[in-house]
Amino acid sequence: MRMHKIRTIAKRDYIATVRTKAFVFGLVVAPMLFGGGSIAMTLFKGQPDLKDRRVAIVDHTGVVAGALVSAAREKNGRELFDKKTHQQIAPRYVFEVIAPAANSKDQLLALSGRVRRKQLVAFLEIGKDALRPPGPADDPTARVSYYTNAGGIDEMRNWLNGPINDGVRLARLAQLGIDIDRNKGLTASVPIDGLSLVERDEKTGEVHEARKRSELEGFFVPFAVAMILAMIVMVGSAPMLQNVTQDKSQRIVETLLGAATPFELMTGKVVGAVGVSVTSSVLYVLAGTLAVNALGIAGLLPLTIIPWFYVYLLADVVMLCAFAAALGACCSTPQDAQNLAIVLLMPCLIPMFMLVTVLRQPHGTLATVMSLVPPFTPILMLLRQAMPDGVPAWQPWVGLVDVLAFAAATVWAASRIFRVAILMQGKPPRLAEMVRWAMKG
Amino acid sequence: MDAVQISHVTRTFGSVTAVDDLSLTVPQGSIYGFIGPNGSGKTTTMRMIVNIFYPDRGEIRLFGDGRPENSTDLIGYLPEERGLYQRMTVQALLEFYGELRSGRGVKTEVARWLQRLDLAGRASDKVETLSRGMSQKVQFIATVIPEPKLLLLDEPFSGLDPVSAEAIRSAILDLRRHGVTVILSTHDMHLAETLCDYIFMIFRGRKVLDGTIGSIQDRYGEDTIRVTASGGFAAVQQLPGVDQIRDLGQVQELRLARSADPQEVLRALVAQARVTSFSLMKPSLHDIFMRIAGPAAEEANHANA
Repeated sequence: MRMHKIRTIAKRDYIATVRTKAFVFGLVVAPMLFGGGSIAMTLFKGQPDLKDRRVAIVDHTGVVAGALVSAAREKNGRELFDKKTHQQIAPRYVFEVIAPAANSKDQLLALSGRVRRKQLVAFLEIGKDALRPPGPADDPTARVSYYTNAGGIDEMRNWLNGPINDGVRLARLAQLGIDIDRNKGLTASVPIDGLSLVERDEKTGEVHEARKRSELEGFFVPFAVAMILAMIVMVGSAPMLQNVTQDKSQRIVETLLGAATPFELMTGKVVGAVGVSVTSSVLYVLAGTLAVNALGIAGLLPLTIIPWFYVYLLADVVMLCAFAAALGACCSTPQDAQNLAIVLLMPCLIPMFMLVTVLRQPHGTLATVMSLVPPFTPILMLLRQAMPDGVPAWQPWVGLVDVLAFAAATVWAASRIFRVAILMQGKPPRLAEMVRWAMKG
Repeated sequence: MDAVQISHVTRTFGSVTAVDDLSLTVPQGSIYGFIGPNGSGKTTTMRMIVNIFYPDRGEIRLFGDGRPENSTDLIGYLPEERGLYQRMTVQALLEFYGELRSGRGVKTEVARWLQRLDLAGRASDKVETLSRGMSQKVQFIATVIPEPKLLLLDEPFSGLDPVSAEAIRSAILDLRRHGVTVILSTHDMHLAETLCDYIFMIFRGRKVLDGTIGSIQDRYGEDTIRVTASGGFAAVQQLPGVDQIRDLGQVQELRLARSADPQEVLRALVAQARVTSFSLMKPSLHDIFMRIAGPAAEEANHANA
């Protein structure tokens, strides 16, 4: 293997890529796409939907509805208007108490019609047994029914849970003869403070108090770190498929093969792509550092994972670029490459689909096993490492050995496929043929 | 020392044998012409010399003991299907290819070659703005920078206008004078006859001709008559001892039967037409090519099979 050839090919590919408008555009647009949701949330936060949320209540107990109406009035008074600007910033919750009808079915049907006609967002039916404390054989879900056709996250339903249960509890206490007006705080909730662990300073021996833990620390930071890795890997490796196919379809490859071996050619291209990824990662890491500093959450970033971030980044880009080069060599036209692009992105997309599952149960069997499967290790292991309680010390090292071994095997197999396929024209080979080339060369 | 030594090389693709038990020696400093119909194995042979394909059997040695995989820096290869990075400037592209092969800067050589092939004014233009002929000249320069010891040119003249073709021909001869060995494939038999020291013809993967043009023609003897007579093609019909007639328009080429006497042919021709010219000669390379790979040869092959 002659290093000057690899260097020359890598340099040309690197310059050709970073000078394209597509690279600069991708550098700016990719984070916008990934962070699009949060940007949109920030933009539209000040413009909530202010239409009244009207809910009908059919209360068979006769006492819970009143508590709900009071709770809604209190909420409206507290949250409806901005204290400084006096502008409305939240929708008004309006409850319409309806007496139970003799024919329950007809009443429910009529109310459903009103929801369909958008006169109501929902209606509640509070069963007459709601006040009776549930016995072991009772079905507690049958006590209160909430009817709606609303999609997405139903804020009304989430809010109702508190006032309904408060109302029911107060009514039960009243039944027991307790004076509710004199014991108003009886059902008040106790807030739970999320705190980090207590630490002892190794130098001074001083014990530091636990600090308040932000939701960001447990969710946002690991999520963002994993997404940034996935984004850089995709931005760095996705152009490789088109790049090789283009060299092949424009008949450039044979000239290059007259001066370099297929392995040197492929390695040069992979090194060029790694350079592109490192360039974009440095820009993203710099921008990210500036952003977290500006937001005042710099302390939440676990700096110890930065070396892991770069090791995983390099291994993942090498692995995917070698894979892309082999796939590109098998394509004769840009159309063929387009059809295979999704296959190439699978090692990034599958772990991205699993991010929420892994965040929920970072030490579950699924999260542990999947983060040790080499194509998924970089994103999933890094996600788990970025969480406040981290992972057992052996796991990142085992993951790293897996990833490096798999990356080496991918490069080896890809170079064999690349060598056979790069000068072939016509229909792309079948998977079985590619496997045969990888095994036999 | 021989530049290339091919010994009993075979290369197959699936069930097709592209090159079959080929042995060939290319002397250093010579111009070797590869001829043969499309698909006969010329490009496969070249790709094996350049180490793009590996032989299934046999061995290729370059400059004595060198194996192709260790000698690619000594080779300049111009493939038949040519392509260049369209978005690069001519200068950057040529420097890239030169650096790729030699590992050093080649600015001076690039400037010299651009000057020589009349492209100095286009050095900073993008390749995509060049005409086809200019692109081919750029590709030729990319092949010869830095000066290789062995140059493989797969149909270097195809698609070139006469002026560009002459510039390339002159450059090839100049490189040979500097000791560069040149292997070129061509379908232009006249060019092969006039430019090449040796001719190698491959047909269906097997070597069918190899040697100097003189030695190849000697093998066939003086069995060809070139004639100009009143009446043209009609005048040479029905002549005794003539196996085949090739009508070139103003001139007819007659191939004599094995035991035929040219004097008899001349007498018969004079008896029926006014003869302007009559020359007895060895067959041209084109004629030899057609005898081996033309439709008549195909028919004979089928009949024998």
